[in-house]
Amino acid sequence: MAARRAWELIGPVLLVAAVGFVGSLTSGSMEFQFRSVLVIATIVVALHVFVGNSGVISFGHVSFVVLGAIAAGVATTPAEIKARSLSELFPFLLDLQLSNIESLVLAAVLGGVFAFLVGVPIMRLSGLQAGIATFAVIIITNNVFRNWDRIGPAARALGPIPETTGFLQATIGLVLVIVVAYGYQRTRMARMLRAAREDPAAAQSSGVNIYRQRLLAFTLSGAMAGLSGGLLAHLLGSVTTEVVFLDLTFITLAMLVVGGIGSLWGAVVGALSIAGLNAFLAEAEREVGVFGFDIDLPSGTRLVVLGIIMAAVLLFRPSGLTGGRELSWPFARRGRVAPGG
Amino acid sequence: MIRRFRFLALFAALALIAAACGGDDSSDTTAAPSATTTTAAPATTTTAGGSTDTTAAPTDTTPIIIGAAVDLSQNMAPFNTPANRAAEIMVERINDAGGVLGGRPLELRTLDATVEPDVVKATAIDLIDQGAEILMVTCDFDFAFPAIQEAIQANILTVAPCIGTDAMGPNNLGEEGRIAFSFGDQAQDEGAVLAEFARDQGWETAVVVKNNLLIYFQDVVDAFAVRFEEAGGTVVATEEFTGFDGTIGSVVTAVANEEKDVIAISSGFDDLPAFVFGLRALGDDTPIVCSWACDGTFWYQEGEPLNEFYYNTKVSLFGDDPNQDVQDFLAELTARGGPPATAAWLGGAQAVQAIAEAIEATGGTDAAAMAAYLEGFDNKSLIMGEVTLNADNHTVFGRPHRIMQVTDSMPAFLELRTATSPADIR
Repeated sequence: MAARRAWELIGPVLLVAAVGFVGSLTSGSMEFQFRSVLVIATIVVALHVFVGNSGVISFGHVSFVVLGAIAAGVATTPAEIKARSLSELFPFLLDLQLSNIESLVLAAVLGGVFAFLVGVPIMRLSGLQAGIATFAVIIITNNVFRNWDRIGPAARALGPIPETTGFLQATIGLVLVIVVAYGYQRTRMARMLRAAREDPAAAQSSGVNIYRQRLLAFTLSGAMAGLSGGLLAHLLGSVTTEVVFLDLTFITLAMLVVGGIGSLWGAVVGALSIAGLNAFLAEAEREVGVFGFDIDLPSGTRLVVLGIIMAAVLLFRPSGLTGGRELSWPFARRGRVAPGG
Repeated sequence: MIRRFRFLALFAALALIAAACGGDDSSDTTAAPSATTTTAAPATTTTAGGSTDTTAAPTDTTPIIIGAAVDLSQNMAPFNTPANRAAEIMVERINDAGGVLGGRPLELRTLDATVEPDVVKATAIDLIDQGAEILMVTCDFDFAFPAIQEAIQANILTVAPCIGTDAMGPNNLGEEGRIAFSFGDQAQDEGAVLAEFARDQGWETAVVVKNNLLIYFQDVVDAFAVRFEEAGGTVVATEEFTGFDGTIGSVVTAVANEEKDVIAISSGFDDLPAFVFGLRALGDDTPIVCSWACDGTFWYQEGEPLNEFYYNTKVSLFGDDPNQDVQDFLAELTARGGPPATAAWLGGAQAVQAIAEAIEATGGTDAAAMAAYLEGFDNKSLIMGEVTLNADNHTVFGRPHRIMQVTDSMPAFLELRTATSPADIR
C-alpha cells in the first residue's frame, strides 16, 4: 500500500525528471521550449491544488502568477535600469535588489498572501458564482497592474530580468510543487475538501468546515502560482501584464481539464502534453527536423491543431487523458484499481 | 502492464522526438521553407553596380545574415510585413550593387515570431543559432523585448524598422542596450508635430484620448498634450481606455459631450475604427489628429465616408509623396507584392541601408563599433530622407513628417512638417 501511494508521487516526478533530462540534451530554441513547458506545468499543478481538490473552477489563479512574476522581476531588475525606466515605482521598490532564490521566495509568499486576502470573501461562494468571482479577480488584478506604475511597469514591459530559470531550476521548481501538492492531498484537510467536493451537504453534516478548507487550499495554491510566476519571469527575461492574463488563464485551465482535473497525475500529464505539443508546433511553424524529416507548417497551424486536439480529448474522453485518476501502481494484480484522487 | 505504462511510453516517445528535433541547429540556407523567407543574392565574386574594378576579386563572399524575428501573422503584421518586404528589396539593391565589404552579400532571413513572448524568444534564438549577425525585430518594443534581449546577450546589433518609442537604447536597457536601435519615429516627435500642426490650424482646445494598451500610444498623446499647451492651446479633457477592454463606447460618448476644437488620439486594432466611426455616427465632426498608428485605409469602414481626419506618417502611400525616390520604391514594392498596408516599409528599407553603411564603415559586424557609427547619424541622408540618432536617442527624431488629410475616406498628402523638437514627457 505504501509503495502504491509513493508511486502516485514517484510517477509524476519521474516523468518530469525525464522531460527535464531530455530537454537538457537539446539546444537553441528547442531547449528554451522545454524549459517553458516545465514552467507552464508548474502553473497547472498549482491550479490543480485548488481546483482539483475543491472542484471549484478558478479563473483567478493567473492573478497570483502575474503578482509573482512582477514581484520577482522588480526585485531582480538592475537598480540602474529601474531608476531610468521605472522611475515611478515606490522608492522601496526602486531600491529592492534580491537574489534569484530570494525573489522566488518573495513571489511565493506574495502569491499566498494575495490568495488568502482574495479568498477570505470569495471562498464562501460555490459553483458558477465562485468562478465568476475569481474571473473578477484576474480582471481587477490586470487593471491594477496595467495602470498603477507605483508597483510595477504598468503598460511597459518589465525587464531585463535576469534569465535564471535554467533546466535545473525549472525542473526543481516543478518537482517542488508536485511534492507539495502530493503532500497536501495526503493530508486530512485535503480529504475533507475532497469530501466536500463530492457531497457538500454530507461533508458539512460530518463537521467539515468547507470555507476554511477551501481557503487553505486556495492560499497554498496561490503561493505555488506565485512561485511559478517568478519562474516564468526569470524564464522570459521580461514581463508585461498582457503576457500573464486571459490567454494563460484559459490555456492552463484547458491543460488541467485535458489531463484530468481530479488528479495530480492528470495535471502533470495535461500540462506536459499540451504545453509540449504547443512548443513542438511552434517550432514546426519555423521548420524543424525530426529524425531526418523536415516538418514545416504554415503560420497559425499551432492554434488550430491544439484546439482540435483539446476538443477531441474532451469529446472522446471527457474525464481527461488520465480519467482524473492518479497513476496506478504498475505491479498491482489484475482487477485492482488504485483509488482516485 | 503495457497498458498501465501507456502514458509513460507515449511521453518517452514524445521526448525522444523532441530530442531529435533539437539536435541539429544548422539550417540549409539554400532551401527556404515557406515559413522562412530568405532573400540574398547568390554569393559571387563579380562586383556589380558602381564598381568597375573586376581585377581585385574579393576573398570573402560568405553572406552576412540579417535575421528578422518579426510578427507576420498577428497584431503587428500590418506594420512588419511591409517593413520586411521593403527590407528584402533593399537587400537585393545592395547586393546588386556589389554587396558590402568588397563583395559579401547581405542575406535577410525572416521567421514569423508572432507576438507571443515565448515564440518571439525562441525565434530569435533560432536565427542567432543560424548565424544571424544582426537581428531585426517587431515594430513594438513590448512585443519585441524577448528578441531584443537575445540579441543583446549574443552581443549582436538589434534594429527595429519602426518601434516608435524611445525604449531602444541605453536609456531604457542600460549600457548593454547601446546596441539596440529603431528606425521608427519617436512618439515624442510625432506628438509634437501633431500639436504644432493643430495650433497652426487655429485650434485652441483639445480633447486627448489615451489608449493605455501600448506605451507608444500613451507617449504620442502625452507629447501632443505637452506641446499643445506649450504652444498656447488648452487640453480640456483626457479620456483613457485600454485597448480591447470594451469601454471604447463610453469613451466615444464622453468625447462627444466635450466642447473642443480638435481631438488627438493614437490607437489601433479594433478600438480605432470603433472610436472614429462611433464619434462620427454621433454627429461629431470635430477634426481628429492621429499619429502614424492611423496610417493606411485597412481599418476604414466601408460605406461610411471619413472626413476631417488628419494624421502624420513617414511617407504617403497614395501616389503623392513629395519625394520621387519614395514613389519609385513604393512602385517597386507594390509591383512585387501589392500595395503595403502602412508606411512602415520605410523603416525596413532605411534600417537595411543603415546596417549596410555601418558594416562598410566599421569593416564588419562588431555590434559596439556599428552602434558607435549609428550614434553619429546627424541628418544622415539615407535613401528617403535625413535620419538623426545620437547617444541618448536610439530612435529616430527630427525627420520631416508627412501630414495627411483624409477626405471622403481618401488620404492625401497635405504638407511636410518637422517638429521644432521632441516634446519632453519624461
